[in-house]
Amino acid sequence: MKSLLRGPALAGALLATLGMTGAAVAHHSTAMFDMQHTVKVTGTITQFDWTNPHTFIFMDVPNDKGGVDHWGIEGMSPNYLSRNGWSRHTLKAGDKVEMQVHLLKDGRKGGFCSTVTLPDGKVMANLPQRPGGASAPAAEKGGGGKSPY
Amino acid sequence: MRRAVSVISVMAIAMSAGATAVADAPASAKASPQGDTWASIAKLPDWSGVWDFDYRSGGGLARPAPPHLTPEAQKKLEAYREAQKHGEEQQTTTANCVPPGMPQIMQQPYPVEFLFTPGKVTVAIEAYSQMRRIFTDGRKLPEDPDPSFQGYSVGHWEGDTLVVETVGLLDNSQLAPGVGHSDQAKVLERIRRISPETLEVQQTITDPKTLSEPWVSVHRYQRHKDWDIKEYICDQNNRDSADEKGRAGIDIEKR
Repeated sequence: MKSLLRGPALAGALLATLGMTGAAVAHHSTAMFDMQHTVKVTGTITQFDWTNPHTFIFMDVPNDKGGVDHWGIEGMSPNYLSRNGWSRHTLKAGDKVEMQVHLLKDGRKGGFCSTVTLPDGKVMANLPQRPGGASAPAAEKGGGGKSPY
Repeated sequence: MRRAVSVISVMAIAMSAGATAVADAPASAKASPQGDTWASIAKLPDWSGVWDFDYRSGGGLARPAPPHLTPEAQKKLEAYREAQKHGEEQQTTTANCVPPGMPQIMQQPYPVEFLFTPGKVTVAIEAYSQMRRIFTDGRKLPEDPDPSFQGYSVGHWEGDTLVVETVGLLDNSQLAPGVGHSDQAKVLERIRRISPETLEVQQTITDPKTLSEPWVSVHRYQRHKDWDIKEYICDQNNRDSADEKGRAGIDIEKR
């Protein structure tokens, strides 16, 4: 069973639009994530932290050795998400979900959440998505201080 | 016709009276023409509700022209960019939950709320649960303020525009990524509602040691009457970090 599929970036446009604005550098930059691509990660939620400055999703993901890997995936803040259709009940331990993730560049099992497909098939955007869905990856310029989140 | 003329005259008189009062704004704490009493607050523009920083639209307003830097500041920016190539300066201390301070605290992806009380406009800022106090009681800027995250702000009303001057910015606040400032930095904000749902801030930053000319940018906020300012305690569950070189870290193991 293949649990990881490399796919086109669904998001990242917003994160790339900021550049050197002097603006919107909130909690941290996205330097440690591959914001140009998302990867599909399928697994079972073990914990959902509905906390500032970021939500955090922990999930067990089957690996190709017959075991599971423990993933830790950062998400937008509860303040942002609650204004965009989420609540602290959106994810709960035991839910089987499919997630599009911007992977950590350091190779650990983690990343930043782009979208989550819930057990009932509903897709929840974590990052703002480009109109029309999947599109070419947004170029990311510069380094620190480019993310609003 | 005659009635229309008289209404216009009355408005003109009222406006000129306001303008005169502003021009004469004295040091006395009681002389501010608007906002110094509950009765005068009732005549201020309606800025109720909360205002979300508009970084997605506004014709690229959120991406102002870059600042013109002094040679010294340009050198520092180039060193910053060089460090970024080596994995440094990826993060600011905001990743460690240290608020960014003025002016960037006003340009966060979280809403702000303006509270009018006699002699003061208070800005409740959701990001990092911050607060700005803008004194509109006619006082002058302090000569030698203790540096602080939000700086020291005085303001006055020019008609429907709140004009705010801020000095005393803390060293660690940046004007833009890689652009710091000196103790002579000053932020001027002209804040007005340009439509029922849009608040515009014309921001002019001066700093003779950092900027070779005033840096002007325009920022907009969209009103959300049905939103509340929410709690934002950054230390609640912060897993991100910046080390002393600005290298980024994230703890994904802690449960």
